[in-house]
Amino acid sequence: MLKFVVRRFVWTIPVILLVVFFTFAMMRQIKGNPFQVTERAVPESIQRNLDRKFHLDKPWYTQYYYYVKGVFTFDLGPSLVQRNQTVNDIIKEHFPVSLRLGMLAMAWALLLGVPLGLLSALKQNSITDYLTMAFVNSGSAIPNFLVSTLLIYFFAVKWRGTFHLPTNGWDNSIGGWKTWILPAIALGHAPMTIFARIVRGSVLETVQQDYIRTAKAKGLRWRRVVGLHVLRNSLIPAVTAAAPLLGFLITGSFIVEFIFGIPGIGRYFVISVTGRDYSVTMGITVMLSAIIIVANMVVDILYGFLDPRTRDART
Amino acid sequence: MATDVDRRRDFEATLTRAAEGRVEEAGAAIQRASLLRDAIHRFSRNRASVVAAFAFVMMVGFVYITPWADSASPYNVDFSKAYLPLSWAHPFGTDEFGRDLLVRTALGGRVSVQIGFAATIAIMVVGITYGAVSGFAGGWIDNAMMRFLDALYGLPYLPFAIITLAIFGTVNFWTMVVALTVASWFTTARVMRGQIITLKENDYVRAATALGARWYRILFRHLLPNTLGVIIVFVFLELPGVVLGEAFLSFLGLGINPPKASWGTLAQDGYNSYQEHPYIIVIPSLAIAWLILSAFFIADGLRDALDPRTRAKF
Amino acid sequence: MALLEVNDLRTYFKTRAGEVHAVDGVSFSVDRGLTLGIVGESGCGKSVTAFSIMGLVQPPGRVVGGSVLFDGRELVGRKDKEMENIRGREISMIFQDPMTSLNPTLTIGTQITETLRRHLRMSKDEARKRAIQLLEEVHIPNAAARLDDYPHRYSGGMRQRVMIAIALSCNPKLLIADEPTTALDVTVQAGILDLLRELREQHDMAMMLITHDMGVVAETADDVIVMYAGQVVEQAQTLDLFDNPEHPYTEALLAALPQIEGEGVREGRLTSIPGRPPDLISPPEGCRFAQRCPYAGSDDCHLIVPDLREIRSGHWVRSQHPASERAGRPVGVT
Repeated sequence: MLKFVVRRFVWTIPVILLVVFFTFAMMRQIKGNPFQVTERAVPESIQRNLDRKFHLDKPWYTQYYYYVKGVFTFDLGPSLVQRNQTVNDIIKEHFPVSLRLGMLAMAWALLLGVPLGLLSALKQNSITDYLTMAFVNSGSAIPNFLVSTLLIYFFAVKWRGTFHLPTNGWDNSIGGWKTWILPAIALGHAPMTIFARIVRGSVLETVQQDYIRTAKAKGLRWRRVVGLHVLRNSLIPAVTAAAPLLGFLITGSFIVEFIFGIPGIGRYFVISVTGRDYSVTMGITVMLSAIIIVANMVVDILYGFLDPRTRDART
Repeated sequence: MATDVDRRRDFEATLTRAAEGRVEEAGAAIQRASLLRDAIHRFSRNRASVVAAFAFVMMVGFVYITPWADSASPYNVDFSKAYLPLSWAHPFGTDEFGRDLLVRTALGGRVSVQIGFAATIAIMVVGITYGAVSGFAGGWIDNAMMRFLDALYGLPYLPFAIITLAIFGTVNFWTMVVALTVASWFTTARVMRGQIITLKENDYVRAATALGARWYRILFRHLLPNTLGVIIVFVFLELPGVVLGEAFLSFLGLGINPPKASWGTLAQDGYNSYQEHPYIIVIPSLAIAWLILSAFFIADGLRDALDPRTRAKF
Repeated sequence: MALLEVNDLRTYFKTRAGEVHAVDGVSFSVDRGLTLGIVGESGCGKSVTAFSIMGLVQPPGRVVGGSVLFDGRELVGRKDKEMENIRGREISMIFQDPMTSLNPTLTIGTQITETLRRHLRMSKDEARKRAIQLLEEVHIPNAAARLDDYPHRYSGGMRQRVMIAIALSCNPKLLIADEPTTALDVTVQAGILDLLRELREQHDMAMMLITHDMGVVAETADDVIVMYAGQVVEQAQTLDLFDNPEHPYTEALLAALPQIEGEGVREGRLTSIPGRPPDLISPPEGCRFAQRCPYAGSDDCHLIVPDLREIRSGHWVRSQHPASERAGRPVGVT
């Protein structure tokens, strides 16, 4: 098992290098010295200092080398717009917000999606099944921005009296939990529909397996047959879907953070692009890539843990 | 006791009888031998898919026919008519500039649908090429290409689309198509590769090679046509993704520039005034949802129709 | 009183094409401590009969009529929760394919102990000890160490032994074995059959052995019933059935067995029964074997369903042309 983890970890390095290369190559296409893009004129001497400090006077491969070195020492360079902040600072400030939002959204997706999928499958072709699947399917197609808008419109505005939820903003301290609810639901909605569909399909397939028939023939209580025998096997595909779902969460977060005015890195990414703060853009992209890669690795490990057959098959 | 001669005669008689009886059936059998017919037949038995297909065609028809049929020009600014509710004259109401939303939605749909299809085709071209080359070449080339692809999976989709747009500097139809394609072709490539690899093992490929067929003939004449089914399914699976992606980008203000609008742009307009006039954001969003849902169910139905083994409905 | 008495059991399946009469009026009984073999070709309804007894028939199938008396208690129509108490505890079942009958994500140990803890309320430790004992009973080497293995570490024959161990863990009164050796190699088959015999004697259990293999029946069963197209067509003690088969179908089955010794054996072809079993959605009006029966003439075989009658002591047959009546041999009086 350990060998497996180590090998996966080692493989992430070339992947990150590749991502950095891509991002860097793309960024380099933008002509000119990034510092010159800002409106405010920079005094000559300071400009030269900055150039020297960030190697902007050197050829591109040197810049690349220094940047890569920076990535692996967790130094992502300075912000081009916020002069007194580095990219690291910005990320440190905004990432925890997005992280919490993402985790809450995922929690919502699982807590609602898995039971819905299970219920639907166990009552296949009944009214419950159709209604649930109608809800899930329609939910998956409605774009994130409408979901968010509707949530705000109903729960924070129209029914303000009953719910007392704020329309936007985000308070990352524990006391500010009310600001977390609507955004988490909005962001978790699409992943929820995905989980529901996957779990439903998976349970339907598992329930037909011979070993479920054996479990029933042993006289085990229905609760146990479903809760242990069926679920253990059905959740495996759901887990493998979790990693690509991370991509969804990231994409969705851009919209949700925008609408709810949440100071997360999704929103900051958009700001950095429109504000031409390209080092921030690069830094965030590299970080997001790293997260996705790590998440994939975690899912692989989790899969090995859940399905004993793969443990022995790994060479 | 039957002798060998008797047995032989019996056997021949049986054959003749069968052959005669089969003459009528033979014609019918050949008709049904067409795989396409079979697939269409199976598809049409799936009610959800047929409904979805209609819905899809309806939407595409709507976006192309309506502006042509409706005389109301979408660019007339008339503030006296701003924010009209739904009525016969304006079935979708008007926006803040008094422009008829029905026509705007249709025109916006044209943009969204066109970008969607173009990007999907681009994804198919890139993905199919990469996957086919990798699968067909095999060996270390395949290995290397797949490792590379694995690495690419780490690229987050939307950020990269945004970066690509930023690099291009402007956002027009083609830059948007490229941006949406850049980080979306990986799954298609992988699936194509899998298909090619499986099909490569078939005996008819070996037979063709033994007969002296060159690689390009095998690839284009034998392998790729057999992947057609999978490709079509994937078109309908990828389309929703790119339409949604474009909508997201436009919503964030990173999309097509005015006056050309897409559904995402319309939604952004609507977002600014959703509390008083919710329909301006609801309508284009529902249009997107309509397209996505119908594409999804079509893909589902196609998948069942083209591969009967996936029928798990019991 | 017999341990299990099945009376006019009917189980139908609703399909798009119509209602399939999979089990159509089956009656038999199983006595304590004896083995009943149920033999017939694929699709004759033998497995469905077993599932009907256990209450494991899934929609679109359901038991539409008849009665199953187990130890004097009626099983048909019993609520699921009550059947759960009977299954695994008083009646156990093992299935055909050992490769897929065990849950791949749970250890063998868990799958044994959960039954023990469910029915006998054992503690974790007690259950574990008993599980090891059970594995040893079915001759799994190194039982204690292998308890925590997953099923994929076991071979097919070993998995079937585990299934048997699980089935016997709570000392049921009746064991139903649905084609337990069909998916196994011939040499492994013999081992499993021996094991079943051994354990059956030890636990003094009744057994219902379902198979399409006449050889297995000959070796293991005390009594036999022959099923065809959802009905019982012959029932007798094993020796009597093999020595004096009555029903034309039974005769054909026995004739179809490949023989190694005997006159003229190597020269001819293997005989098979021409034709196919009838469509069970609209079963034929009369005798279901009539279409393929060499003795059905222009008489009413096609119109009347013959009753199951006792042609000799302990030997029942459902046919208008049983062997003894054909050859003019005097029929034994009951």
